[in-house]
Amino acid sequence: MMEWLNDPATWTGLVQIIIADILLSGDNALVIALACRSLPLHQQKRAIIFGGAAAIGLRVTLTAFAVYLLTLPYLKLVGGALLLWIAVKLLLPDEGHGEGIQSQGSMWGAIKTIVIADFVMSVDNVLAVAGAAKGDIALLVIGLLLSIPLIIYGSTMILKLIARFPIIVTLGAALLGYIGGEMLVGDAKVAPWVAANAPTLHTLVPILGAILVVALGKLFAAKPAAKVIDLAAEDKPAN
Amino acid sequence: MKKILLPVDGSDNSLRAVQAAIELAKEAAEAPEIHLLNVQLPIISGDVKMFVSEEQIKAYYHDEGIKALARARAALDAAGVPYRYHIGVGPVAETIAAYAKEKDCNQIIMGARGLGSLTGLLLGSVTTKVTHLVDIPVTLIK
Repeated sequence: MMEWLNDPATWTGLVQIIIADILLSGDNALVIALACRSLPLHQQKRAIIFGGAAAIGLRVTLTAFAVYLLTLPYLKLVGGALLLWIAVKLLLPDEGHGEGIQSQGSMWGAIKTIVIADFVMSVDNVLAVAGAAKGDIALLVIGLLLSIPLIIYGSTMILKLIARFPIIVTLGAALLGYIGGEMLVGDAKVAPWVAANAPTLHTLVPILGAILVVALGKLFAAKPAAKVIDLAAEDKPAN
Repeated sequence: MKKILLPVDGSDNSLRAVQAAIELAKEAAEAPEIHLLNVQLPIISGDVKMFVSEEQIKAYYHDEGIKALARARAALDAAGVPYRYHIGVGPVAETIAAYAKEKDCNQIIMGARGLGSLTGLLLGSVTTKVTHLVDIPVTLIK
């Protein structure tokens, strides 16, 4: 236990996990808030609890599955590449359109939306946490536990901060690129070769991963022009 | 005719800007056209939009905007100063500048520091950005 606490790798892993959680859980929190907002108050609480519990169960299962998969040869290469892509995508301008699953305004409808959304949107978080934990089960559990309050109680504060200061996203994406790089050189098949032939790659690839992500993000990022949207245009005129 | 853009975020500081605008309106010989504005940050990403309908998103921003505007509207109503209110979505400073142009305003009155006081100190505030983006007078109220 003491040894684990004294190992600097434990603490860098923990910090990485916390940052990844903060950066990648905000969207899940927002879906919960949006899916429940049209429900009556007493149903809102139940929908958040049921939806949140289902989402947490799902996340635990997914993470266990991801950790197992990452021990297989070559799969860390896939995971690392995927994480690099996720990191670059964080920096790209949004192209999503509000097609949206039509919510029926019922509690079960809201729960369904929460669970489906969490399944799709927690893949990035699960992969980042699994990568940062590097097989350390204790870290993994802590990472999962930390992401849960962020999903359920996660206020929109973090998202607002991120929207105002895009530098946060850039730094976070660089971190994900770093973790992705670590994953690439940590692959069961690759690690022994790196250790024997080119040990510097072990530190070089993660740094290159971070640089690559930020460079690609800068290359493709286009700042959207501010548009005049007036959501109050249809409100009754004042006075 | 004076056309004033009055961006608020619901903070005490922005409310002082509203008071200043009210005084200005009362002293003016000709009643100015006041455009009260709240800008919501675009926090809803493309991923979230997959799961939530456009109407829900608009309703969310609208609700948040109405909440942020509430105190300012109450103050203007109480003072009997006519105004129109708007809720914009986008990067705050850029959207304020775009509104100033769209509504053909010739003055902006805003709080010197809004809700993001700490982060504003660290990374440069919305007001600094706005003053750079527009070429009409910007009155900052402390």
